[in-house]
Amino acid sequence: MTTQQPPRLEMRRVVKTFGPVVALDSVDLVVARNEVHGLLGGNGAGKTTLMNVLYGLYRPNSGEVLLDGEPVTVGSPRDAIDAGVGMVHQTFLQVDNYTVTENIVLGTDVSGALRLDLDEARKRIRELSTRFGLSVDPDAVVEDLPVGVRQRVEILKALYRGARLLILDEPTTNLTPQEVDDLFGSMRAMVDDGMSVVLITHKIRETLGVCDRMTVMRDGRSVETIERSDTDADHLADVMVGGTTGPGELIDAAALGAVDAEEVEVTVSSVRDAVGVSVQGLVVNNDQGHELVPGFDLEIREGEIVGIAGVAGNGQVELAEALAGVRAVRAGSVEVGGRSMCGRPASAWLDHGVAYVPEDRHRDGILPTASITENLVLGSQRSPGVRRHGLLDWGAAKQRAVEAIEQFSIRANGPATPAGDLSGGNIQRVILARAFARRPRMLILHNPTRGLDLGSTRFVYDQVRVATDAGCAILLLSEDLDEVIAMSDRVIALFKGSRAGEWQKGTVDAYEVGRSMTGLGEARV
Amino acid sequence: MSETISPAPSAAPPDAEPSNRVVEALWLLVPYVVSVVLAFVVGGLIILALGQDPVAAFESVLTTSFNTRFGTVETLHKWVPILLCAYAFAIPLATGKFNIGSEGQLLVGATGGVALGILWSDLPMVILLPCVLVAGALAGALWAGIAAFLMVKFNVNEILSTVVLNFISFQVIDYVASQVWPDRGAGHPATTPVGDGALLPGIGDTPPFHSGVLLTLVLVVVIAVFMRRTATGFEMRAVGANLRAAQVHGIKTSRLAGAGLVVGGAVAGLAGSIEVAGVHGKMLEGMQSNFLILGIIVGLMARGSMLALPVVAFGIAVLEVGAGSMQRTAQVPVEMVLIIEALILLFLLLSDIVRTKLRGR
Repeated sequence: MTTQQPPRLEMRRVVKTFGPVVALDSVDLVVARNEVHGLLGGNGAGKTTLMNVLYGLYRPNSGEVLLDGEPVTVGSPRDAIDAGVGMVHQTFLQVDNYTVTENIVLGTDVSGALRLDLDEARKRIRELSTRFGLSVDPDAVVEDLPVGVRQRVEILKALYRGARLLILDEPTTNLTPQEVDDLFGSMRAMVDDGMSVVLITHKIRETLGVCDRMTVMRDGRSVETIERSDTDADHLADVMVGGTTGPGELIDAAALGAVDAEEVEVTVSSVRDAVGVSVQGLVVNNDQGHELVPGFDLEIREGEIVGIAGVAGNGQVELAEALAGVRAVRAGSVEVGGRSMCGRPASAWLDHGVAYVPEDRHRDGILPTASITENLVLGSQRSPGVRRHGLLDWGAAKQRAVEAIEQFSIRANGPATPAGDLSGGNIQRVILARAFARRPRMLILHNPTRGLDLGSTRFVYDQVRVATDAGCAILLLSEDLDEVIAMSDRVIALFKGSRAGEWQKGTVDAYEVGRSMTGLGEARV
Repeated sequence: MSETISPAPSAAPPDAEPSNRVVEALWLLVPYVVSVVLAFVVGGLIILALGQDPVAAFESVLTTSFNTRFGTVETLHKWVPILLCAYAFAIPLATGKFNIGSEGQLLVGATGGVALGILWSDLPMVILLPCVLVAGALAGALWAGIAAFLMVKFNVNEILSTVVLNFISFQVIDYVASQVWPDRGAGHPATTPVGDGALLPGIGDTPPFHSGVLLTLVLVVVIAVFMRRTATGFEMRAVGANLRAAQVHGIKTSRLAGAGLVVGGAVAGLAGSIEVAGVHGKMLEGMQSNFLILGIIVGLMARGSMLALPVVAFGIAVLEVGAGSMQRTAQVPVEMVLIIEALILLFLLLSDIVRTKLRGR
C-alpha cells in the first residue's frame, strides 16, 4: 500500500433502505490500490447491495463515494463505467449468437459510421486476454462457450471499457476448481498491473486464497476489515456469523468453504446395507426433446447420501425430475424401496415417499398466494391424515403449520402468511418442512442451500442428517462442489448426463472431480 | 441476487404483528369503498353533463330494490342468474382458465330444462322439477365440456372456444323456439310454456319470489365448502396459484382445469333452468340478458373470493334493477348503470397499483 496516494475506492457511511428494511446501515469500505479486496458475508449481509450502489444500480439514501480521492456521483452504470468501475454479475448479460468480440464491443463507441470495423477491437481483446491470462478466442460464438469462458468474456468487457476497479459478484459459482485457480491467477495479474479488484463471496476459503484484505459484512453493516496475514478460517467464520463455531460443526464449516473438505475426518455414517433406490438405464429428454440423460445407472442405499457434482446444464434438472417422478422417462427403470415406479403418476411417487426439493423454489416449490398452511398441505391433500369426514381439516393443518414454523424456525407472521411474502431462505424452510413431514424414503435435493445464509444452510444439513439417520436415501445435486464433497458418502461427477467419475467419501480430490465435470477426467466407474 | 430483496432476519417489521388482521381487512375493504364512491362521482359528473339531476338519478338507482316489495323480488330474481354466471366465470378462473361462455351455457341449460318441462309436462312436481333443474345443469356442463375437451386434448384456447360456443347456442335456442316447440302467438321467438310441475314454487305473497333463490343460497354454501374444504377444490386453487408447483406435487393439472370449466358450465346451465322454472315458465330468445358480462364483472370484482361473490352480485343486482326506475324518474338512460359498474371495476383494478405503491412491496 502506498501511503501518499489516496485509496482507489472509499465509501463512507453509505445508507440504503428498501421500504422498512435497512439493507445498508452506514457502511464504510476502503479498497486500496493494487489489492484484491474480499467482501465477505452471508446472504442478506448487504454485499451485493453495497456494490450495486457503487455501480449505480441503486441510489443510496445517504453517504459518499470517492474514487482515487475524488468524490463521485454515480447515477447509472454508465457513470460507473466512465469513472472506471466494472462489475461482473452472477448472471451474464450476453447476446448468445454474437461472437466474443461483438459482445465485448456492444455498447461502446465503435468507429466508422457505416462499416463495423472490429479488427482494432479484436487486437485489443487479444492483447488484454494475454496480459491477464484470460484465454478466449475472440471469434468464438458465445453460446458455444462453457460458463467459465463466458465469465472471462464478461471480465474482458469490463477491462475493455477501461476499468480500474473490478467488482466480481460470487464469480466462482459453477466454476471447476481449475477454473477457479485460473480466475484467481488473472485477478492477481490485474492488481499487479495497477488495478483493484473487489471479490464478493460467502466462501471463506476463497477469500483466504486470493485476497490481500477483506471486509466482513453482517446484517447490512461492515463489521471488520482484516489483513490476510492477521486471520485464518476459524477467525473469519466467527466474525461472519458473529458467534463461535464449535468443533462438532466441522463438516458444516467445510461445506461452507471454511476449511478444505479433504481435511475433514469421516465422523458418522448412517449408510445401511439395504438398497433404497435402484436406477437402471435411465434415459430422459429435456423440454425440447433432446436426450439429456442417455442412460444412467445408480444405486443408493438406505441412509446414504449420493452427491452429484456437475456444471449446471449437464442433465441435473432432467435427472432430478425423472427421479422425482415429475418428468416422464424415455427408457429405463427406477425402483424405490423395491417397488418399480416408472410410468406411475407423480402423485404415486409422492405417496410412496419420494420427496423432491426443486432447484427453482419459486417456480416449482410453492403456491405464492397461498398460505404457509396450504403450502404445507400441498401434495398430501388426498392422504387420509389431513382429512376428516372426507373434507380437508384446516384446523389440524393449521396446528401442524404452527408446529412446523416452530420446528423449522420459519420467520413469518403466522401460518396464514402467503408463502410468496417470505424470503428465499424461509421459502426453502417451508419446502423442507413439507418434504420431511412425509418421512421420505427417498429425498432429492437440488441446490438445497443456494442463496441461503449460514444459519439456514446449517439447518438444511442438520435436517438432512436427521433424514439419513431414519434411513432415507438421498440424492444431492449441487453446483457447490464443496457442499457435495463434504456432505456425500459417494460423489458422482456428471458430464453431459453421464457418470464421468465416482469417488467414495474420503478419497475425493476436488481437482479430479473438476476435471471429470468438464469431460477431461478419466472415468473411474 | 436475492440478497437485495430479502430483509435481514432481524429486520422483520415488529409493528406489523398485533393489529395484523384488522390492517389486512382494511387493505381489502377500503379499495372497494373508494372505488364505488369514485365511480358514482364520475357517473354523477356524466349525468350532470347530460343536463340531468344526478342526486335524483342515484336515489332511484339505490332505493328501488328496497322501497317496494316488487323491487326486492326483482332484485333477488336478478341476483340468482348474475351470481350463478359469476360462479361460472370464477370457478374456472381459480384454475387459471377463462370461461367467457356462461351465456351459451345458460341458454343450453335452459334448453335442457325446457325440453323436459314440455315433454314430461304431466309429471308431478316432486319428479319433474328436480329433473328440469338437473337437466339444465347437465346440459350446461355438456356445453362447457366441449370447450374443456378441446382444451385438454388439443390445447385449444378456452377463451376462443367458449366464446364461439355462445354463438352456436344462439342458433340452438332460435331453432328450438321457432321450430321444435314454437309459441306462434308470442310475437317473439319463444317456446310453449312448461308443465305446472316444472315451475319453482313461489315464496311469500304478491308478488312472491321463486324458491330458486333459496336453492342458490344453498349452492353458495356448497361451492364455498367445495373450494375450501375438498381436495379437488384445493387442487383447483393450487393449479391457479402455480401450475408448475401443482404439477410437481402430483396434481393432474390439465384434467383439473377441464373439470373446472365443466363445473362452471353446470352452474351456468342451472341458472338457465332456474330462469325457465322460476321466472319465464318457458324459454325465450334474449333471456340471457347481459348476464355474461355482469358475471365477469362480479367475478373480477370478487378477486377470487368465493365468499365475496354473493355480496358483490347482490350489489350489481341492485344497480341493475334500479336502472329502469332511474330512466323513468330521472330520464337518465339505463346504460348509465353499466357505465358505473364498469367504472367500479376499473377503479378497483387501479387500486391494486395504488396499493402496491403505498405498501412499497
